[in-house]
Order: sequence, then C-alpha cells, then structure tokens
Amino acid sequence: MEGGNERRMDEQEIIAACLRGSPGSCRRLVDAYGGLVMATAVNILGNRQDAEDVWQETFLQVFRNLERYDPSRSFKTWLLAIAYRRSVDMIRKKRRFKAFASRAAFEQAPAVSGGNPHPGGPGPLPSALLRKLNPRERTALCLWANEGYTARDISGVLECSASTARVYLFNARRKIKALLENDHGILQNG
Amino acid sequence: MASCRTVEFFYAAIPLRPFRDLLIRTHSERCEHCRARLASREEAKSLFVGTRDMGSVDDLWGRIADRTIGERAAPVRLEAGHRAGLRWATAAVMALVVAAAGFWLLDRVERAVPVAEFAAADDGFRLEYVHVGGAPAQTFVFQPLGSDTVYVWAQRAP
Repeated sequence: MEGGNERRMDEQEIIAACLRGSPGSCRRLVDAYGGLVMATAVNILGNRQDAEDVWQETFLQVFRNLERYDPSRSFKTWLLAIAYRRSVDMIRKKRRFKAFASRAAFEQAPAVSGGNPHPGGPGPLPSALLRKLNPRERTALCLWANEGYTARDISGVLECSASTARVYLFNARRKIKALLENDHGILQNG
Repeated sequence: MASCRTVEFFYAAIPLRPFRDLLIRTHSERCEHCRARLASREEAKSLFVGTRDMGSVDDLWGRIADRTIGERAAPVRLEAGHRAGLRWATAAVMALVVAAAGFWLLDRVERAVPVAEFAAADDGFRLEYVHVGGAPAQTFVFQPLGSDTVYVWAQRAP
C-alpha cells in the first residue's frame, strides 16, 4: 500500500514537472506508460501499424490536455480512457474507408476484404478469436485480464456505468470461453 | 441447474444492462456451474499481448518528442481574468479567420482549382499535395496487392 502511495506521489511529481515544461519528465511519463498504451491499442485494434498511430495521438492529446487531468483520479485510467477513445476513432475511420472502398466502382481487390493490408512491423499480435468481440467487450476483457481492473475501473476507461462494464466483461468472458471450447473440440476431433 | 436456465432465459430475453448486471451479481458470479462457462483470467490473458511484449518505445517517442517539448517548453501561466480575456480575444480572432476563410473558399470554388495535383512517375504513383478546404489534408494512399488501382482517401486534418 505504501509502495502504491509512493509511486502515486512520484507520478504526481512527474506530471507537475511536465506541466512546468520539463522534457525529461515527459519522457519519463512515456517510458512508464508507453508500453501499456501500445499493448492496449494493439489489443483493441488487432494490428500494430494502427496501434502506433493511436499511441502517437494518445500521448499528444495527453500532453496537450495535462492541465485538465484531475489528480484525485488515477492517471493510468485517464490515460487509458484517451487511448480507448482514440482506438475507437481509428476503428470508425477504417470502417468509413472500407465503406468508401466498397462503394467505389473500381476492380475488386482481394486485399481490401482481407483487413489491413499492412499489418505493421514485427511484433506479437493478439489472438484472432478476439475479433468475435466488439471493441467495448475486447477492451473490458483486456483491462481485466492484463491490468487486473475491476468493473468499476473499467467503467472509468469506457466512460460508462459499472453495471454496464460488468455486463460487457461478462459477455466477453462467456463468448471467449465458448470459442476456446469450440477450438479445443475442433482440435480433438481433427 | 434449473435456476441457471431460468437466469439465462431472463438474461437473453431482457436486454437491459442494469437488469443483466443484477443477474450477474446475484447468480452468475456465485454459481459454480455458470462460472465454469466463463473464461478465466489466465485463459483471457493468453489471448492478449502484454506490456512486456511491446519492447522499447524509443522510436515512437522520437515521433512526438519535438512536438511535445515544443508545446511544453514555455508554459504560460495566466491569471483567471487574463484567461477570460484571452478566451474572448481568441474567439474573436477565430470568428474573423472563419469568415475570411469562408470568403476565400467561395472565391476558390468559383475558380474550380483542382484539389489534388498528381505527378506521374515512370514506375508508379506519386502524389505531391492534397488539399481539402484549402488546407493540407490527411491522406491515405492504398494500393491492393497485384492491382494497378490506387485508392486515395483524403480528409481534413484533425
């Protein structure tokens, strides 16, 4: 508990230094949370290239709006809420582009229907099973599994009530269990 | 088991989140049979990539460092009164800029200036500049594998 408080104090000092314009502190904040934001974005979007764009937009928005951060709230949750919103924006943008591409009276290209033609640089990607979940369910499950978040914490990121977050998480866990069992059955039966 | 089926029936039949939350809290999270049908934390974790898998963020920091440091290098601390004044001044300037841009755009539309200038290359496709509404636009160029078709998606920069 004391360790947590010390870490929080340290974090608040770094944020205060960022607000004073210290480049080193901005870098420390990125070092501390860069991997978390990147992993969350990759898990929501399912590809690294889009996740890198989301990472960049998230941190730019964080540094531009750091004055608006309420120190009584968790910085990590505030940061993840921004990353989540930017990821959802990216999904909408891609959907608009796909709609535009399908309307265009050009020749059919197999790569268009196959998702992102440029999956990004090397690096691990989340399981394809997660595509069966919607972005809210995927985010809820990711935060619960990776960060140990409760429904209340997840609600802070998704900006919904704790009840709603609990329902998203429950649906996600149920769907994934069914999919995993299905996969297992297929492997067993050949 | 019978109660599980009843709960499942009501869960599927009534798509109200507070009601579903009530069913989850009062039954599904407590019943062993229902919990066995939910993925565990370990099972879920195995599907996601973790923070440690992401490696260093040095490259990504390089992309935003200049903008971050530039914007944060000289923070301006203003009193509340000054801030209000500054807000009004900004709003007035913005209104003038919007009006001027509107007139300018109307003028441009009448002249029908092409929005994109293409420079044909011998061995491929090149796009010099794309403007939307007179300002440099966010542009995505996409060419499907094995196709000569090039899609250009342009939208106003955020």
